[in-house]
Parts: sequence; C-alpha cells; structure tokens
Amino acid sequence: MTTRHLVDPEVLPALEAFPSLNATRETLPAMRAAMEPVLKGAPVPDLPVDAQEIHIPSPEGHQVRAIVLRPEGLTAAAPALLHVHGGAYIIGVPEMSVPELTATAHQLGIVILSVDYRLAPEHPYPAGIEDCYTALAYLHDNADALGIDAARIAVMGESAGGGLAASLALLARDRGTYPLAFQLLDAPMMDDRTCVRPRNPVTGEFIFGPADNHFGWSCLLDAEPGGPDVSPYAAAARATQLEGLPPTLIATGALDLFLDENVDYAMRLIAAGVATELHIYPGCPHGYVIAADAAVSRRALADKRAALARALAIV
Amino acid sequence: MSTRHLVDPALLPLIDAMPPMVLSDASLPMIRAALPAMIKAVPLPDLPVTIGDVMVPSGEGDRTVRCMMLRPDAMADNAPAILHMHGGGHVLGMPEMNAGTLMHWADALGCLILSVDYRLSPETRFPGALEDCYAALRWLHGEADHLGIDRARIAVSGESAGGALAAGLALLARDRGEFAIAFQHLEQPRLDDRTATSPVPNPHTGEFVWTRQSSHFCWIAQLGKEPGGDDTSPYAAPARATDLSGLPRTFIAVGALDLFVDECLEYAHRLIRAGVPTELHVYPGCMHGFGMARDSAPARRAQADNLAALRAAFSL
Repeated sequence: MTTRHLVDPEVLPALEAFPSLNATRETLPAMRAAMEPVLKGAPVPDLPVDAQEIHIPSPEGHQVRAIVLRPEGLTAAAPALLHVHGGAYIIGVPEMSVPELTATAHQLGIVILSVDYRLAPEHPYPAGIEDCYTALAYLHDNADALGIDAARIAVMGESAGGGLAASLALLARDRGTYPLAFQLLDAPMMDDRTCVRPRNPVTGEFIFGPADNHFGWSCLLDAEPGGPDVSPYAAAARATQLEGLPPTLIATGALDLFLDENVDYAMRLIAAGVATELHIYPGCPHGYVIAADAAVSRRALADKRAALARALAIV
Repeated sequence: MSTRHLVDPALLPLIDAMPPMVLSDASLPMIRAALPAMIKAVPLPDLPVTIGDVMVPSGEGDRTVRCMMLRPDAMADNAPAILHMHGGGHVLGMPEMNAGTLMHWADALGCLILSVDYRLSPETRFPGALEDCYAALRWLHGEADHLGIDRARIAVSGESAGGALAAGLALLARDRGEFAIAFQHLEQPRLDDRTATSPVPNPHTGEFVWTRQSSHFCWIAQLGKEPGGDDTSPYAAPARATDLSGLPRTFIAVGALDLFVDECLEYAHRLIRAGVPTELHVYPGCMHGFGMARDSAPARRAQADNLAALRAAFSL
C-alpha cells in the first residue's frame, strides 16, 4: 500500500524530489562527499548573529568541532541550546542546520552550540554521544566566559540528532554533573528495535525507510539492531527508567518511520512524571520540513521555537 | 503522591479555586442545580454572532432535540459547519456552557455551529444521547441548503464526554453510511471505559478536576452497568472499536496530566495506523479542563491550536 494519498499535498513535491538514501558501507564515502558541499552551502539569513567555529578538547584527547552562534548585543547569562544535527548517525554536519539555528538564536536571544560529533560506522557508539557530552560539559564549564546561564541549557536534535539528544539527557541525568533544562526531540531516531518489529503500515515510505534505518543502526551499534544489551545511551528507548529527565517536547510526523517509538517514549515519559509535550503533525513523513514553505513546516518550526522560549523562560 | 508539582504554574489558581468535586448520586443533583447560575455569571463576548434555539426532530415520534445554534451575522454562503457536543461526564451540562467559546469559533471561522442538548444519564442510558447527536447530524445534512452550509465540510467537535460523543458519532456515521463527516475535533475526549477500572492506573494522571472515581460513576450512569466489561459498545467507548479505518481526519488535544491522556494517545496512534490523517497535541502540565483557565497561557495556546486545526480542516 502506498501512503502517498496521506501526505500533506504541500509537502509531497519536495519529498518526491528528494533522492532516497540507500546507503551502504561502500557508497557512504561518496555520498558524504556529494552531500556535504550542498549541506554546507545553504544560505544563512543575514541576521546580527556571530558564528564561530570552535574545537573542544575531549577527555579522550581528540578535538570536537562545533559551531557557536551568538546574537550580537546579548546581555549576560543568556539561555543556551546544544544542538545535535541529524543524518542517521552516519552523515551530516552542523552547517546544514546553521540557517535555521541562526534565525532561532536571533529570535530567542540564545547562544546555540551545534556539535560536529563523530559519525558511524568509522566511529560507532559511544563516540558520538561522548562528543555530545563533551560539548555539554564545555557549555557548563565555560558558562561565565560564554555569558550563558548554566541553569537554562537545553538540548535539541532532529532524527539521529534527536536520538543523541535523548540519550544525552539520560547520560547527563545519570552522571549527575551537568544538568539539562529541557530536551527537544524532533522526530528522534531512538529505538533500534524498530528494525525488527512489525512494520507500521503507514510509516516510513518517504525520505527515510526501514532499509536506511537498519543501515544507520547497524553502523552505530556495529552489530545487528534489535539485539540484547543495547545501551540506552545508544538507543534512548532502551532506558527502563525515565524518571528525573528534563521537561520534554517530542514532535513528529504521523507518517514518520519513528512515529511508534516516539509515541511510546512520550507515553512512558508522562507515566514517569516528566513534563511532556507531544505534537504529531498530520500528513508528515520523516524530513517533511525540507518543504520549508509548507504551512505545516512553518507551524512546526514556530511550535519548536515557542516551546524553547517557554522552557528557557524567555519572555 | 501528589502531581501538583507537575501542574503548569499558570493553572494552579484554577485547581485551587475549584471545590473538590466527586460525582455521586448525592452530589449530581446539586451540581446540576448550580450550573445555570454559573453559566449566567460568565458574560458572553460582544461578537456579531446570533445565538438561538432550534428544535430538531429526534426521529422517534414527536420528540425533538433542542440545539443551540450559532450563526455569524456575515456568514458566507456554503459555509462550513460544526456539530458540537458539550462535556460534563455524560451526566450534566448543556450547550450554553460553551457559548462564549463557540461564539469565538463561529466568528473566527465564519461557520455555523450547532451544539446539541443531548439527553443525560443516568435518566437516559446509552445510546440515547448518541442518537440525539445523530438526529442533529441528520438535520444539518437535511437542512444544509436552507442553512447555507456545505455538506462536505461538516465537522463534529466535543470535549470530554462530548468528545466521546463526537468520536462515537464519527464511528456511527461511518457505519450507517448516510451522512458524511469531514473532520472530528476531539478535545480531551473520554474514549475508553477500561481506564476507569484499570488495575495499573497511570500514577500521574487524574488527580485534578476529573478523577478516576468520577469517571467510574459516569460510566455506570451511562452504561447502566460496571465499565470495563466484555461488551461495551464502541459507540459508547470509541476505543473499543477494532477498525478505525475510514474515519474522518482527526484532531486530538489533551493535557499530559489528564486522566484520558493514555487513551487519547493510543487512539491517535491507532487512527494513524489505520490511515486516518491525525493530529495530536499533548500539553505538558495540563489537567482535564485546563481550558477553563481561559486567560492562562496554556489555554490560549490550546485555543489557538483548535482554531488552526479547524481552519485547516475547512480549507479556509
């Protein structure tokens, strides 16, 4: 059954124009090489936001690259957002999100750090999540120098970045050193077991399907997905205790491959007493926001920014 | 354990002002008696919308069903329409409870609204109220030309027990195949009688405004028997429907602390799996009835989402 008739008509043309991933370990390097100039070349809106590339020393001795966006003329102790880009754990760079994040930083008056975490399969779990943790530690340890309020640091990610954001919230809770004020999970890729569960008949037809999901998880875990003993810091949905997590927004499309795992996580967060907002957008497959001018994409973006403003007490 | 710490601070005045209300045979007549004065105490907005009663044939002898009709003074021809069902646990309430909100909707959307004064339980058991709503749907379709409304853009809408009626009506209309519904708009709908008897209740829902105990009382009043049994009709408890395919596109909104949050999420999820275009919004820190704190930020946000969803459904 095709789900084409269920897709928001404003979103459909962009989805159909999007090449399917169909990545393998052999094609991945060429795919990255082809995509990154495109991703890095997206026009950044002309706003008074200063962008800076930094390199954060990690405890393992390597440098974690990140982009820091800071609106000009910020007063002291601004809220901050740690951003984690998407790309199935295997592709992507912070630059692909910089246009949107620049506007977000400007609109909300917040400092945003987007982390260039290490990708699988060259660097399977836990390389990526530890890079995110390094970035979180950097924000906290340098809060005064950065002019940010350490009590108002949120994490946000899309797709695999949403999975990393959710895992980072778990890791930060469990290590107990660097608190997060909020997690914003945008269509998070958070459960490797989706690869081995019966298919939802309406999800995963467009942009990101089961084969891509299986490949992404296999690379991240360096093992078959769905096996025993997968860490919740790799696949957040594996966590059995969700108590004590920060307030959460989960936003996802009704036709997104990750719908089931996202709804389940939201229900479990609510049952665990975590302040949780969930928004499911009708007619939206994974990655629908590439149709940036569609009404639903604009609404979803506005909803995300409004949720950040509330969570970070921005008036 | 209290869930007060999870409540959005903007809603604390509402729960502090509300008397602890447990519905029972003893309290029900008192609450019903107090309601008209409570409704009267809230002034209606000054909007160019005309409100009046219409008496709709029930289809059973000479009996009619009273409905409150709202019509924008400058309504365009072939306008969309909303068939609305009020809340109140199926045991109390009347259309006038929502007159202010519905006036805003009629004005903002340029649509006709009919809100059904359906028969209440325990005096009238299932399916009496639902058949009253069906009669109102039949009337809207039959009178569409005369009313100047578009039969292809009739939505059903309801909150709480009214959401159950709206969802039940969408199932009934699908199954009878006589009258089309374009959209179901369900606010904190009560969809599943099994929630009232669950052996493992969600520890963070149902503390404020609408409790498991009240819900249990209302299900007994409506069904005339203990809820959670094997044979509850899906037209009474839509979550009991095994096939949700072919239902109209759907909007569901509910608070994260609402007794009904789990059943709402599950229903939305099942609708999506059944191929029904579905929007869901769960509001953090919000209990059942949070919309009563009309001027609070969460209520204003939910109201904006309501209007946006209705507007999209009507292709306005």
